[in-house]
Amino acid sequence: MRFIDYKNVVPKTVIGLLVFLILLIPVFTTNVATLSMLILSGIWTVAVMGFTLVLRTGQFSLGQSAFLAIGGYTSAIFTVKLGWPFWPSFFLAGMASGIVSLLVGMVVLRVGNIYFSIITLALGEIVRIIAQQWEPVTRGTRGLILSPPPPIILGGFKINFEASPVPYFYFTLCLIAVTALILWQIGQSRLGRAFAGVALNPVLAEHQGMHLMKYRVIAFTVAGVFTGLAGSLYAHFLTVITPYVFGLWQSIQIMIMSIVGGISSLVGGPIIGTILLYTLGDYLTRVKTFGIQPLLFGAIVVMVLIFLPKGTGLVDLWGRFWTKVVWREEEYEPDTPDD
Amino acid sequence: MSYLELKNITKEFGKLAALEDVDLQVEKGEILGIVGPNGSGKTTLINVISGYYRPTGGEIFFNAKKISGLRPDQIAKRGIIRTFQSNVLYEGTTVVESMLISSYQQYRTKNWQSFFETRTWKDENETVVGRVIELVKLLDLLNDTFLPAEGLSHGYQRMLGIAMAMIANPSVLLLDEPTTGMNHEEAMFVVDKIKKINEQGVTVILIEHNMKVLLDVATRVVVLSFGTKIADGKPEEVMNKQEVIEAYLGTETI
Repeated sequence: MRFIDYKNVVPKTVIGLLVFLILLIPVFTTNVATLSMLILSGIWTVAVMGFTLVLRTGQFSLGQSAFLAIGGYTSAIFTVKLGWPFWPSFFLAGMASGIVSLLVGMVVLRVGNIYFSIITLALGEIVRIIAQQWEPVTRGTRGLILSPPPPIILGGFKINFEASPVPYFYFTLCLIAVTALILWQIGQSRLGRAFAGVALNPVLAEHQGMHLMKYRVIAFTVAGVFTGLAGSLYAHFLTVITPYVFGLWQSIQIMIMSIVGGISSLVGGPIIGTILLYTLGDYLTRVKTFGIQPLLFGAIVVMVLIFLPKGTGLVDLWGRFWTKVVWREEEYEPDTPDD
Repeated sequence: MSYLELKNITKEFGKLAALEDVDLQVEKGEILGIVGPNGSGKTTLINVISGYYRPTGGEIFFNAKKISGLRPDQIAKRGIIRTFQSNVLYEGTTVVESMLISSYQQYRTKNWQSFFETRTWKDENETVVGRVIELVKLLDLLNDTFLPAEGLSHGYQRMLGIAMAMIANPSVLLLDEPTTGMNHEEAMFVVDKIKKINEQGVTVILIEHNMKVLLDVATRVVVLSFGTKIADGKPEEVMNKQEVIEAYLGTETI
């Protein structure tokens, strides 16, 4: 597992240019289908970033969709049932999801590893079943109907969420940017190193003073908060939330996107993986062959694990392109030990 | 009370007592050698001190504070750092990356300060990098700094183990057979480094199989046999004791 962030490899100007081009997308196309796809893949990107952060501490969460559901339902219940405005509900969704991940993490991450995977898997199912059975609050399988966020008025300029998906597009970008910024900072700070230590050799890390549970819980909670916010945005964008949207397959999709994108980068990997696979998945829903999507996703994961192993993923191709083609750096060949 | 003090330490695995009523005093600044035949409980002793195992009986005090029963990271935070008998590394990292991960305890800045990249964090980062270079030079790893740790030869991996323990800021360093798998010359090289580490003010507890190495480096020697302490004193005196010779070579039968 490598833990270099390509933040330092790829020049800032290139990242800036890419961000600029992405910002201009709505100028070139206002096609609702295209923008919706980009918005949804953006929302999934945030969830995948969270998953990747947890994976950086060496823990496999199989229930990240639970936090999307908790975020979505919290926001839906507060706006629809209790009549709260959008913004407080949005942040409350992140907080609720964060608190659940904190509590679950403090219980399970003491042991971690396979137990963590099993409990998070169960958590995903529990959340889905509660959403299904708690009829008076969640309306069960019929789901809750939400309204889009209220228009924002900025100096005479009105941003209307109801008229077109463009405001959602920028809102999603903001959420991604904030998440990316925080994960980048985590990656470069003491936390990032401690995460690497805890993941790469827990026994050694513990004997060097790192409290395993503390760092696992921090990663899991940060992931929980942002996944919750993404869940809230997801529900408001689709204007409906049902228990069927969040299940085991969604959790597995998050995992697949993270692995295909590559976990060597906390930001680049999730973005590349999600956009690629979400677009592919969206296209595959139109193909009328049963089970083609899981089959193809599985094949892609196998290919990535064979050709880009040890968590390098597709983002590593990007890194290699920069170091080899652009910088023309010679590939480093380790000497064979000779004594 | 001594710097590090073990009182009646017992560690039982089921019915097998790996350590039985071991009393041990370690003074500040000394190099204490621990010897004993295979299975005498040397590594168990280090595992108990470092918190990897909880003792089933007895107490350990460090700086007059009780440390037995604490987690390994809490004990490490108090300045007791260990190395391992096998080469324990951070998988897939280079030497410098391993050192930076291990430098966790070098920092006084809090996690949030490093998150916001404050001035103090940046300054401290520079001092830590300086210390990393110093240690890498001391332990002869300078040419391998950017090599993957797993690609190093056994001897250099042992050195990296000591370097990683040193960057974790120890006041007491527990070395678990640092010279395994080395010839005499290489072992003497390690001994030289241990002396230099000791000169930096670090108390060293050293498990060793090789008597020659121990005679050369240790200021005091403790002999363990079947989980009990059978001798404690100056290296030359201990080596000539009847019990020690018996423990190593067996009892004379007539």
